[in-house]
Amino acid sequence: MDILLDPILLSLVLLGIHAYFGREIIHRGIIFTDIALGQFAALGLAIALLLNLENFSYEFAVAATLGGALLIYLAEFQKRFQEAFIGLAYAFAAALAFLLLSKSAQGAEHFLSLTAADILFVPRQDILHTAIFYAVIAILIYFRERYLRNRWRELGFYLLFALTVSSSVKLAGVFVIFAILLAPALVSHLLRRGLIFAWVYGAAINVAGIVASYYWDLPTGFTLVFFQSAAALIVFLILAFVRRSAGEKR
Amino acid sequence: MQHFFVAFWIAGVVTATVVAAPLRVVVSYPWIRSLVEEIADDQVSLYTLAKGSEDPHFVVPKPSHIAKLRKADLLIIQGASLEIGFLPPLVRQANNPAIFPGNRGFLDLSTAVSLIEQPQAVSRAAGDVHPQGHPHYHLDPHNIPVLARTIETKLCDLDPDHCPLYRKRLGDFLRRWQAKLQQWDQQCASLKGAKVVTYHKLYDYFLRRYGMQLVGTLEPLPGISPSAKHLSQLIQQMRAAKVRWILQDVYHEQKTARYVASKTQATVKVLPHDVEALPGIHSIFDLFDYIVKQLTVQP
Repeated sequence: MDILLDPILLSLVLLGIHAYFGREIIHRGIIFTDIALGQFAALGLAIALLLNLENFSYEFAVAATLGGALLIYLAEFQKRFQEAFIGLAYAFAAALAFLLLSKSAQGAEHFLSLTAADILFVPRQDILHTAIFYAVIAILIYFRERYLRNRWRELGFYLLFALTVSSSVKLAGVFVIFAILLAPALVSHLLRRGLIFAWVYGAAINVAGIVASYYWDLPTGFTLVFFQSAAALIVFLILAFVRRSAGEKR
Repeated sequence: MQHFFVAFWIAGVVTATVVAAPLRVVVSYPWIRSLVEEIADDQVSLYTLAKGSEDPHFVVPKPSHIAKLRKADLLIIQGASLEIGFLPPLVRQANNPAIFPGNRGFLDLSTAVSLIEQPQAVSRAAGDVHPQGHPHYHLDPHNIPVLARTIETKLCDLDPDHCPLYRKRLGDFLRRWQAKLQQWDQQCASLKGAKVVTYHKLYDYFLRRYGMQLVGTLEPLPGISPSAKHLSQLIQQMRAAKVRWILQDVYHEQKTARYVASKTQATVKVLPHDVEALPGIHSIFDLFDYIVKQLTVQP
């Protein structure tokens, strides 16, 4: 059973900060920022491979992610079209990473093995480090809300989100992060509850998904993604139905 | 009366577990499983990490993998960095010192054979080259006897009580294998000089054994997807060399192979690289029977 303990711990550490960001990005309507930033992290990795600077791949990934965040922040000045811009930024980063890899003669296999993250694989020490890192980010979020105003406040949001994503995607993979980011946040918005509810709800679904992956012996990451997304879709549809019929009665 | 039976049954189960407690063996690929079965029959409990139809370089990790590795007495791997993408993190998470590399419960079969294509200098510039040499050595049927012996030696070391059985079964296996080798060698004599193209550098040990000639691969470099320019050059080469077959593995896409075949004289042969890669291939014998039959029986 203690095989499950590490993935559950990690999923809870991730949930803490991602539920907060998830609520924010749903509120702002910039959902695909996460996927786009994940792709920028991969682009940074591809650049590191191209330059034969594999030892600095993490630094490259962080730099590329911050660059991506800056781009998406600049798109705020065209708020109406920001989501379309984010979608294109994703395609841009993905295509450029692929092109660089084909020229660098670095095996795509090798790239995949560097980008392949699995929630089963993360050692406890890394989980601890991540928890400390997110605690620091949380403190910075507090300072941002308290002291930063206007443009700086917005820029701070994007940069902190980029730092979070570049670390978490590396640990758990882009799908797991997308699910943990959006599903609990969406459900809490739908039920008009707050961050605490998102944490409790998200933790329950995470644990259920990971335990289920053990009992049915399924790939753990994708089971978690399935549970989070399926539960959120069900809540969404039930609420849509209930609220619609309630509206009709009135 | 009933109680008596229950007590008897429990006593029996307890004795059976204490006395038998079979060796728990985890292997990375089905062909290794097949060899262990040949030698140990059901004297050991066996678990295979990869499916035969999966890309051997990328195996999707599951919780059961860690659970089985945690309780294993012996881990047998193909080695030569083939499992580098998935096995090290699994072994680390399982945290079972018995099967750590270098310890008694760890067997890397690649150390038993001589590997071809060991690179002079290891650099990623040549694509996904395995630094120890070409890892798909089990596809030379003449390598199988020494691999079987290596497994038998390790089983005897860990489980001396059953060593006589392992030795007897090994002898029996080697006799049957020798007979098959003669048959395959005879059938494959006609393959000498046959020109082929493969998707990945996968069947090289087999090609080398039977004097077949590899003209090129659909991948420009190992692990890199086919590109338009590379394919058009390859098609020219294949026409000039009159390549007979494109040997296609089961886990890469097959559209490229069919496209290239349509532009040349070559025909596509889908070949298994491992036991269970295709339906009906359940043992190491089936694997080579199938490959040899595909290449020697005219369509």
